[in-house]
Amino acid sequence: MAFAPLDPVLHNQLRLAVVSLLVGVEEADFTFILEKTGATRGNLSVQLSKLKEAGYIRVKKTFKENYPNTSCALTPQGITAFEQYVAAIKEYLG
Amino acid sequence: MDQDLTPEQSLKVIESMIGQAKKSFSRMSFYFLLWGVLLIAAMAATYLLRNGSEAFSQGASWGIAGLIGGILSSIHGAREGRRQPVNNPMDRVIGWIWGAFVITMMIVIAASVSNHQDPGGMITLLTGFATFLTGQIMRFKPLIIGGVLFWIAGLAMHFTNDPLTLTALYCGSMFFGYIIPGLMLKNQEDGLRTA
Repeated sequence: MAFAPLDPVLHNQLRLAVVSLLVGVEEADFTFILEKTGATRGNLSVQLSKLKEAGYIRVKKTFKENYPNTSCALTPQGITAFEQYVAAIKEYLG
Repeated sequence: MDQDLTPEQSLKVIESMIGQAKKSFSRMSFYFLLWGVLLIAAMAATYLLRNGSEAFSQGASWGIAGLIGGILSSIHGAREGRRQPVNNPMDRVIGWIWGAFVITMMIVIAASVSNHQDPGGMITLLTGFATFLTGQIMRFKPLIIGGVLFWIAGLAMHFTNDPLTLTALYCGSMFFGYIIPGLMLKNQEDGLRTA
């Protein structure tokens, strides 16, 4: 039986963690994602860029209480990709 | 954190992160503690001044408590809204529940006052409804229990007219339904912030 290939963008621990976190919220700040995933700032920045390039997340840079703030939210494309990834994982797990 | 994953590991990551997101509510303890203290004070003032001042016997203390609570809640809500690191859709649902509670409460007060009835029992039942739902959404047992206590107190208040009993029932339900869960929630929120 042939299994559906797993989306290479999502099949990475940190990127999958970020997308799974964003599925449950409307929008989250960089610091919140950093705290919940336990990643390093550098690695998280790189993985967020990859998710943004894939069109899975929207990154908004604003100011919050006079400090620069980066917030992220899933795009409809990201939600679809996540749903397909979950369906594929379920298939693998039988 | 960037190695390849097995399907089992993927599932674990997904479950764990969704669980984290579900727990990410904005800080709500402030509202329970503020309103708990204000409403207990309003009830106590109404009881203690019931024979001395016409304004207080007619519910002036509730108006004062509502005004102070409304202003402080708005200021706090606006400030926290700017600081909040995450927007959880459930926060909005909880906001709608309390918004609907306030509207229903206003209608109940207006209807009761025009019929010369005490709205206390009905308001306590309504408070139980909103507190119970908030507790269920947040999966926070002390608020769920608090909601049930409001229901019991609200029901009991329909069977008595004794001012002292009514005061004790209302203040007791506020203490165990707002103050104690509020303190426990504050503890939990402070723990999450420093974790």
